[in-house]
This record gives sequence, C-alpha cells and structure tokens, in this order.
Amino acid sequence: MEDFSKDEHWHRWFERFGPRLLLCARQWTRSLADAEDVVQEAFVRYWRHQRGLPGEPMALLVTSVRRAAYDLARRESRRALREESAETDRARLEPGFVAPVEGEERRAAIEAALARLSEEQREVLVLKIWGELTFDQIAAQLEISPNTAASRYRYALGALRKELATTHCHG
Amino acid sequence: MDDELLKLEAELKALRPAAPAPELQARVARELAPAPRPSPSWWWSAVPAAAALAIALVLAGRKEPPADEGLAAAQVAAFRPVAAEKVLYAAADEGPVTLADGTEARRVRSSYVDTITWENPRTNASLKWSVPRDEVRVVPVSFQ
Repeated sequence: MEDFSKDEHWHRWFERFGPRLLLCARQWTRSLADAEDVVQEAFVRYWRHQRGLPGEPMALLVTSVRRAAYDLARRESRRALREESAETDRARLEPGFVAPVEGEERRAAIEAALARLSEEQREVLVLKIWGELTFDQIAAQLEISPNTAASRYRYALGALRKELATTHCHG
Repeated sequence: MDDELLKLEAELKALRPAAPAPELQARVARELAPAPRPSPSWWWSAVPAAAALAIALVLAGRKEPPADEGLAAAQVAAFRPVAAEKVLYAAADEGPVTLADGTEARRVRSSYVDTITWENPRTNASLKWSVPRDEVRVVPVSFQ
C-alpha cells in the first residue's frame, strides 16, 4: 500500500482527503459554508503542525475537523451571522455525493434517507463508511465505547435500509 | 449483519463524497502559501550590488601596498560565513516526461536565490554573495 504520509504536496492530500473531510464536517456544522470553513481550518492546522504526528492521517484529520467544528460552534457571534444562510443552505440541499448519471436517482434517495437518520447514527455511519475509521477510532472521536459505535452503525444501516425500502415502495 | 445489509454497506462505500468547491482549495492554497518574499527583481538587483561591494572591498584592501603580502591574505581569510539563506521564488511543474528506461515521470523546476553573508569580525566589514540556482527534479509517477 502506498505510504501517503511521505507525500510533501498538500494539494494531493487535499484531493485525497478533502471530499471525505467535507462530508464529515457537514455532520457537525449547520451549513456547507461552515463545513468549508471547518475543513480549511482543520486541514491547514494539520498540515502545519500535526503532519509529523504518528497515527493514521485520516483519523488525525477527522480529529482536527471535529475540533474545528466545536471551535466554530463556540464562536456564537459568527454562528448567529450565518444562521439565516444556514437555513437557505439546507434548503438548497447541496449533494454530498457524486454518482454516475444512471445512479443519480438512487444517490438522491440514499442522501435523503441519510438525512432522516438520527444525528448519532449518521455521524457513526459517515465516519465508518467514508471516513474509513475503525470502531475504536470512532469511539475515541465521539467519546463513546467501541461497542456503542458498532451498534449505532448497525442500527444506522438497518434504519437506512428501512428508509430506502419505504422510498422504493412510495417512489 | 445479513446479506442485504452487507450489500447496502457496499453500495454506500461505492458512493464518492462530492469534492470541495475549487474556492475552498484556493483558500487553503492562500493559507499554505509561503510567506511573502522579496520579488525576484529585487534579488537580481542585489546580485550586482553584492558584486560591487566585493570589488570595493578588494580595492580598498589594495589602496596602499601592503607591508606584508601575508597580511592581505590574512584579512581575506578573516571573513567568515555568518548566514546562509535559500529563497524559493518560483516553482513550476513542467509536465510529464518519459525517462530512457520508459518510466513515466514529472519534471518539477524550483528556482532559488542562495545568499551567503560573510563578515570580518575585526573590521565589521561584510560581504553578501547571492547566486541564482535552478533545481530540476524528476519525480517518477504511477498511473493506476
């Protein structure tokens, strides 16, 4: 497997991790604009100060994203300014995924079903599937036990299946 | 997990998260850009200035015939390098190249100005030596 950690070109890291980081950031922020701010701050912080740390880059980057999301949430004034646009943003429903044209309908259905999951289930699912973190790493991120992370994941998949079946029946 | 959930899991894994907007990458690029350096033209004008200073120092040393030839040599030898600086002022990816053995690679050119400062601790005279330098790296790439 390629040892990506030795690559000195930040843009290649960004191409590789950016889409997944943005998806993770969207779980912890109120708008796409906030998620982008968070990814920017987290990535720059990681690249400047944490790249030499031992550990898997994606796990460290997710930690950095989560911390930046919390920092942003604490900056109440900024949040208030964005409040209105956040609603607009949600309504706009920027797709979180890309799919081939023939799979577009299915992508939209999956995305809608994901949005209906509980926040707790969705964040575990996103970290596991697209963040490619282990249950131990997810547990450390969310300060829960690995067993809880694993069960939330299974419940999330089950709920998603149910949602998609409903969509299929009604669609 | 049952087969149906495994299938759903595989389907989810096949979905690719959307790429961030180019503006976000541009913002990251701005933040990670190296701190502003003097423009190349400044450096190029510094080169003749440094050369002029060097000549002036040499001429100053020859104004009066030295009583002892060894003294001039000792004065020159008294200069010690005190600082060295490498400034990258341009970098360009010159595109793909094919090496003699058929390996695919990219050629990356980095342009530097290296500056070494010398000082004579006895007279406090200093001498700055700047030289432009191009570094060309050929980086093998693999296409998957």
